[in-house]
Amino acid sequence: MVSPVLLIAVPLGLAFAMPLIALISRRLPRFVPLVACAFNLIVAIRLIPTVLSAPVIQRIGGFSPPFCINLFAGPVGVMFAGLIALAGLVIAIYALSYIRTGPTVRYHMLYMLLLVGATGVVLTGDVFNLFVFFEVLCISSYALVAYFGDRNGLEAAAKYLIQGAVGSALLLMGIGLLYGLFGTLNMADIASRIGSVSDISVFVPLALIVSGLGVEAAIFPLNAWLPDAHSSAPSSISAILSGIAIEVGLYAVVRMIFTVFGATSIFMFLLFLGVLTVLMGELCAFAQTNIKRMLAYSSIGQIGLIVFAFAMASTISLAGGLFQLLTHTLSKALLFLAAGYMIHRSGSMEISSLNGMGRRMPLTSLAFSFGAFSIVGLPPFIGFPSKFLIVRSALEKQQTLFTLLLGFVLLGTLVEGAYFFRVVQAIYFKKSGDEPASRSLAPALPLISMLILAVLIIFVGIYPQPVADALSTAASDLLDRAAYIGSVLR
Amino acid sequence: MMVELLLIVAFGGSLLTYVLGKLSSRLRNGFALLNALALVIMIGMLYGQEFERSLPFGFLGIQFSIRMNMLSWFFAATILGIGLLAVLYSFRYMKGKERLDYYYFTLLFINASMLGTVVAGDLLSFFIFWEMMSWSTYLLISLRGGGKAIFAGIKYIIMSLVGSLAMLVAIVSLYTAFGTVDIGELAVHMQSASLGLALLVVILFSITFVIINALWPFHTWLPDAHAEAVSPFSAILSAVLVRKGLYGLFLLMYVILGFSFLDRLAVGAISFSNVLAWIGAITIVFAAFRALLQNDSKRILAWSTVGQGGYMVLGVSVATSMGMAGGTFHILNHCIYIALLFFVAGAIEHRTGGIRDLDSLGGLIKKMPVAFVGGLVGIFGLIGLPLTNGFVSKWLIYKSLILEGRPFLAFAAFLGTWGTILYGYKFIHNIFLGQLPDELRDVKRVPFTMAVPIMVLVVLVFLFGVLPGIPLSVVNQVGTYMGFEPLDLNVWGIPSESGTLNVVNLLAAIAVAGFLVWLLFKTLGRSTRVDQSDNYAAGAAIPRGRYGFTREFYAPLYRIVSPYVKDFPDALFLWIADRTKALGGMTRKIYSGYVGSYVMYIVLFLAALVFVQLTWSPW
Repeated sequence: MVSPVLLIAVPLGLAFAMPLIALISRRLPRFVPLVACAFNLIVAIRLIPTVLSAPVIQRIGGFSPPFCINLFAGPVGVMFAGLIALAGLVIAIYALSYIRTGPTVRYHMLYMLLLVGATGVVLTGDVFNLFVFFEVLCISSYALVAYFGDRNGLEAAAKYLIQGAVGSALLLMGIGLLYGLFGTLNMADIASRIGSVSDISVFVPLALIVSGLGVEAAIFPLNAWLPDAHSSAPSSISAILSGIAIEVGLYAVVRMIFTVFGATSIFMFLLFLGVLTVLMGELCAFAQTNIKRMLAYSSIGQIGLIVFAFAMASTISLAGGLFQLLTHTLSKALLFLAAGYMIHRSGSMEISSLNGMGRRMPLTSLAFSFGAFSIVGLPPFIGFPSKFLIVRSALEKQQTLFTLLLGFVLLGTLVEGAYFFRVVQAIYFKKSGDEPASRSLAPALPLISMLILAVLIIFVGIYPQPVADALSTAASDLLDRAAYIGSVLR
Repeated sequence: MMVELLLIVAFGGSLLTYVLGKLSSRLRNGFALLNALALVIMIGMLYGQEFERSLPFGFLGIQFSIRMNMLSWFFAATILGIGLLAVLYSFRYMKGKERLDYYYFTLLFINASMLGTVVAGDLLSFFIFWEMMSWSTYLLISLRGGGKAIFAGIKYIIMSLVGSLAMLVAIVSLYTAFGTVDIGELAVHMQSASLGLALLVVILFSITFVIINALWPFHTWLPDAHAEAVSPFSAILSAVLVRKGLYGLFLLMYVILGFSFLDRLAVGAISFSNVLAWIGAITIVFAAFRALLQNDSKRILAWSTVGQGGYMVLGVSVATSMGMAGGTFHILNHCIYIALLFFVAGAIEHRTGGIRDLDSLGGLIKKMPVAFVGGLVGIFGLIGLPLTNGFVSKWLIYKSLILEGRPFLAFAAFLGTWGTILYGYKFIHNIFLGQLPDELRDVKRVPFTMAVPIMVLVVLVFLFGVLPGIPLSVVNQVGTYMGFEPLDLNVWGIPSESGTLNVVNLLAAIAVAGFLVWLLFKTLGRSTRVDQSDNYAAGAAIPRGRYGFTREFYAPLYRIVSPYVKDFPDALFLWIADRTKALGGMTRKIYSGYVGSYVMYIVLFLAALVFVQLTWSPW
């Protein structure tokens, strides 16, 4: 059996070997992320059947938990790792031709570190280890946002850095308090003892950790960094930030609440927060004229939808939330990648500059439309099964409150539909003003990566059954605290 | 296997059309026509069959199934028939335009999705096909480009999205309640459903179907969409796509819920059928007045589609055999004459270089005789003159309303017809009669491939008007499937005591009257042929082209009516859209760009958490 440690160790090693590889040839480093992601994808796929039956606990340092740092490769973790590798691979293919100027070696190195951080967060079973990987993820994304080195990028990165730092500080305080309370950093160990202390002394670290992680997870009102950062970053980085980074932050929040704290009473609060995030994100996106800002705000809306699903805390709703997460990763990545080349072509991020793109870049426009339809949740794209599951889980609660909140969420979907359809119309039916309608395709490599995403979006949309099955196993992994504690501390 | 094959041919054909279009445009056209023809033949072979079958695959644990029965067959036949004619019509109409591969692909894809909705045996696949129909329609409405078409497209898709979200919630509620979405099984389970659930489901489904059927107050997408789409597609929209709403209502009211359940959904006089009937009545009257105010050939037709939808709902909601037959038959009739009228309007548009403004047309009767015949017959059908198909179905609807003691509803229906006569006359007059503008001196005849669909439909209007027994026997079977008593029929009409309709008598009466008029003119009249402009100015010399008969038609009426007949729902929806945008603009200000306030949000969030905990200690 392959060890889950490889998922972290190999890319990390390759990332730090990057400067050495660059010494051999300047052209070589850009292929390293491809290799690492492909490796991770294969490892993750090979691990999935194993972890679906029982999670793999990897001990590090030879001690047994709670005395060592352990990795917890459960269904959620490994699927997340696989998704990170998949998105990483596709975006790395895209970046082969998209990232041509600037300090490319450092780009690829930071990109790898970002992926390592993300993979580490989802696999670790130790709170402090989680903090470390989280910082790896955040710091590499601060740097990548400013990759172009222009004014907007630097400003956005600085803002992101400040808010991220505040968030990390809160997170660290929370972890410190937990350590003070229990004298352990192992998640399972903390989880098993959380009932032994008074409510208020658990509440303080909970509030600090939720606020701290919430910054990266882009939960309203902690998400003010996101529109700037996602719109100023290079499109490949926007795609990975939107598709992976905020999802990983959300995973960390959920893992903390569900497993470590077992704080079921906070779900109602999260539910409202989710609905609020949906409405805020979608309304802001509706008012945008800048395509990347629009996509960024739409990510906020999607995160709200996922939070809404998670906060309902049933097997179906968690499966729906995870499915929505998959939808968002694939579709939003596709949208950012497609938008990246359209912006490259038109030279402007204004939506009006995309007029008539359908004729100038037919395949890229088609990819964009697929992503848009999928995010809105139309069949036969991947967004439909995930939306179906979320609606189903909300209605299965059989309570007026949930139905009402679902109504608000669907209102958000409606607004989302309005602005995405507006852009699709602009792309296909509005006449472009200045430029003659000459056809040109994006280069082959980005097209390949968009094609992979588009095929996945359609394929899973038509045949969602295996994914839904796997995700409902993963959902029970998140829900079942006792099994988590038991499997680590046996 | 036949129905599966039908769907495969329909969807596969649309894709293949696109691919073939990349090779050669002739090949594409030929294939598209062949595909549409094959589908018509296949649906013909399915006549009278009734079965329901599970498909070997499903979706998230829900088994897909397909069904075929007279209700499905009736709608499928209209879809495929109009689809065939529209494809044939498109050859010349679309010639020389851009993105033809895309056009034919989307057209066939929409037809295939509509076909899917009527043969779906469970509500989930119904929903999936419905959504595919929605977004593909949106992709075709704006094909022409330009501000109006884009506006029409976005208006349509947003309203349609409201409908489909409502429907999704309804379907999932049914699924969580009964664990199945199969239509047959739901019909059984529904009888034991709680009233609350039933009410929720009925309201949500009704929103969807009322929107797509363009009944007041959700009609607002239709006039824009139908007017701005290319004409062959307008014909499809008006003739069949809009009627998916009625198919849905049939499914909901008579297949899933059934009579006994519908009766339970009533508080005093307010019952589901009553509400529906009054919505229908309002729609008829409102649309008739709105149509009077239009000055665009396709917009008049679009509003008439709104109004005729009201008649159908009126017939359907009366829920007697005769009302049901009238409503169902009117679907078929409307589908025939409105497609005909859109083809005519499209032909005019095609030959005059895109003129739809009724002020700038006129006198085309001699230039485009086929279009004139088509237009006249279509308007006759629309008004419901005897010997045309529209007469029979409207007669059935009136009769059933009167028999059921609904005089006000009947009056609304009559009022609508009077309005129809006025705007129908305006349509004919302003296009074909009056003075021929100088710019239109050398307009050519309707091209052959466009004339064929027009003539086919003209023949059908008369055929179904003179021999209403033939289509009514199909309509009867549809009614029987939904649990209504069949009407007594013979080929000329309805011979029973409750409502005699005999077209032979009518035919004789009209022939005698026509003969008398002819005799009168022959013996007494002394006519001299004069030039058109002489006639207009009573012999005085006037410069040609200075006076137009057709300018500001019905101007006094317009002045009287227009202050009262405002499209309030439309204004309301636009206002909501506008406010939403403004709200978005305001919300956006939260993200002020000042990082200090962003950090403050984080701290405030933490403070709020602490505050909530300290005050109510919920955690």
